[in-house]
Amino acid sequence: MSLIEAQRAFIAEIAADDETGSSSLGMKIYRGAYRERLAAALAVSFERTRRWIGAAMFDLAAAHYILSNPPQSWTLDAYGADFPAALETLFAQDPEVAELAWLEWHMPQAFAARDLPELTPADLAAAELCETDWERLRFTMAAGFAAREVHHDCTALWHALREVAADGFAVAATKPATLIVWRRGLSPHFRVLDCDEFAALGRLAAGQTFGETAALAGEQDIARFGGWFAQWLSEGLFSAVRL
Amino acid sequence: MTETITPFTGFGLGLRKEHHADFLGAEQPVDFVEVISENFMACGGRPLRTLDAVRERHPMILHGVSMSLGSPLGLDRSYLDELKILADQTRPLWVSDHLCWTGIPGHGAHDLLPLPYTQEALATCIANLKLAQNVLERPMLVENPSSYLTFPESTMSEWQFLKLLAEESGCYLLLDVNNVFVSSVNHGFDPLEFLDAIPRSKVRQIHLAGHSQGPEGMLIDTHDAPVCAAVWALYAQAIERFGPCATMIERDDAIPALDELMAELALARETASIAA
Repeated sequence: MSLIEAQRAFIAEIAADDETGSSSLGMKIYRGAYRERLAAALAVSFERTRRWIGAAMFDLAAAHYILSNPPQSWTLDAYGADFPAALETLFAQDPEVAELAWLEWHMPQAFAARDLPELTPADLAAAELCETDWERLRFTMAAGFAAREVHHDCTALWHALREVAADGFAVAATKPATLIVWRRGLSPHFRVLDCDEFAALGRLAAGQTFGETAALAGEQDIARFGGWFAQWLSEGLFSAVRL
Repeated sequence: MTETITPFTGFGLGLRKEHHADFLGAEQPVDFVEVISENFMACGGRPLRTLDAVRERHPMILHGVSMSLGSPLGLDRSYLDELKILADQTRPLWVSDHLCWTGIPGHGAHDLLPLPYTQEALATCIANLKLAQNVLERPMLVENPSSYLTFPESTMSEWQFLKLLAEESGCYLLLDVNNVFVSSVNHGFDPLEFLDAIPRSKVRQIHLAGHSQGPEGMLIDTHDAPVCAAVWALYAQAIERFGPCATMIERDDAIPALDELMAELALARETASIAA
């Protein structure tokens, strides 16, 4: 057996659902360590989610995820990237679980994201952009920027679960909105945006120009769009512009 | 790769996040720190600022766990490129990783998995190590891992394998004394035979750590306990053979207050001073 064939067989054995009776003691140790390490990584990455659904349910979900999601990255820190999506399926009747897990995943991602400069109003002023430039202007989002639609007040749940289980906490359903995460300076932030505001910000985040985005806001809402844009700049949501 | 690594002697600690505040708040009596490379690769924000602040005060070593030197399909080039960026940014004393493999394409194990000591595995490790050293533009240190099984197809011992690897690739060795002890118990070899076979000129660093008792007399390299008496004795034997060498305490679980690790490091200084 070649080395790669032996390694494929080794991985198949430590990751298999059922332990084969012929496994050596050493193989049982590697097999147990594989599961323990991945389960521990998920428990550390999703402490609040674990508190919310309880350790027993969380551990079942983690075991299911470990079987169906082999680690792909060279860093164990990336292992939980698809766990919020898995929870969306596993807890379809309790959608706040996946929303909370998404927030819990993206806050540390933003915390450790590669550094990007913050685009300030002074930077824009210094660029001396003409009207045509503004039409064509595209934006690069801040370090760690991510967004997803939410239907519950999962930010309140996030705060409630900071250190202890939130027994009796009733998570409120909300109108559909968008939760965004980003890093400013050294601190990760999150905020919930209503659908109109994120429709505009999402276009800029997707690479549409300032002119296209402003035009879609419509003449009646241009002042509102201007207000949002000023707020986004003041919140450090952009890192750069390009023409 | 004909570059050499100048010996660096002293006593250090593996820097873990539980002690970041201690290291940021005051000068700590260590000669160097070692960090896990992967914790700072493709990274920014506070983690990188912390590393920058600590390495202003202390020489720093990058110690990896994911290079997978024993992968016959070759190394992950994106991994190497990220490690190169980090090494260029942070200018470590050296970069190290393990004699192991960590997974196959599409399925990582996040573990230091054992290799059969065969000519095929040796050729694989030499080729991968040469590539890594070329990309990083520096020789590396390779560490002996603990292991819990052996392979009937092995045609040489671990120490023979390490010696050939160092000679053929130009790498240096990070001798983990605890791992030598753990594997010697698990596989029934004489740890002094291991030490005797390691070329003195190739050892640049020593790791010390604790282990725990596993099933059926097996020892597990858990890094969750103080260094035991048998490992201290083996460390003294290593210093007798290799001379003063950068020595470090590793603790990755049940991490105690920094003072406790400093006391253990003082014991390393005392042991080395008597043995040298």
